Amino acid sequence: MTGLDRWLLQATRHLSRDSTARVRTEIQEHYEAGRDAAICGGASEDEAEQLALTSLGDAKTANCQYRQVLLTSAEARMLREGNQEARLICSRPWLKGLALAVPVAAVVVANALFLAGAVEAGRVVLITAIGLAPLFAAPILPIYTPFRSRIFRRVKWTCIAGALALIFGADALKLSWLLVASLWPLVWNEWTRASIRRKLPVQKWPEQLYI
Amino acid sequence: MNFKGTLPTLILEALMREPSHGYRIAQTIKERSQGVLDFKEGTLYPALHKLENEGRVESYEGIEKGRPRRYYRITKSGLAALKEDRAEWREMSRAVTMILGEA
Repeated sequence: MTGLDRWLLQATRHLSRDSTARVRTEIQEHYEAGRDAAICGGASEDEAEQLALTSLGDAKTANCQYRQVLLTSAEARMLREGNQEARLICSRPWLKGLALAVPVAAVVVANALFLAGAVEAGRVVLITAIGLAPLFAAPILPIYTPFRSRIFRRVKWTCIAGALALIFGADALKLSWLLVASLWPLVWNEWTRASIRRKLPVQKWPEQLYI
Repeated sequence: MNFKGTLPTLILEALMREPSHGYRIAQTIKERSQGVLDFKEGTLYPALHKLENEGRVESYEGIEKGRPRRYYRITKSGLAALKEDRAEWREMSRAVTMILGEA
């Protein structure tokens, strides 16, 4: 393994396969140009290789910077899996309808509970339906610009936070461990999507990044 | 010299004259600053990718001396950003000179 291979291995740690390929190509080109320039300047081949490698700097620092601008393997996996889910839902109109029917069904159940006198249970079901509505309605809403996407995300998180506050009320603090544990995957997902949004130009955003 | 934060502006300035590849951009910045702005070249590409993600530069495949190279060129948005950065830098530089000049 050459010095350049070691440098590349460290600089591309945790990057996706596509990002790694791109970094490898550009750094290889850069290294060769630097080495050729050093040889033209009178350096021996070994000295030129060392000079070209030194000029690249610290691989760990480069890795940190690459991870801020290129997709990591975890982000690429999320994008791939999210695309599969989106394709699954979008290619079957009945699934879209079913997703939209969930909050509607919850409202119907809540009404039935109110009529049956189970006011507390009806209240919880109704609030849950309102909280979940943006998540289920997302695939059919016309959200295809970054501006609409921002508005939708704000509405979504307001609905979720509002629903939780209404359901748990004063007990929210006592049950915070449960809330944190159950909301963590959702928050992590949102955080990763925000990171992907920063790294991909808007023209390359798949539908799932808008919601 | 530490010039953290100004590298994207220097890259845009280097690309203002003509499209170029990473190695030449690095050499242009070093030469035009007469060696004062000496940076590790491995950090140039993350900055270029960021500019590309923001739509300030675009890249394409080119050939130089029989070798395929990735070239970068500045976009309209990049030109506008460079204009703003230049104005901001002049303002800041004037303010710092006013303070340090008194010492």
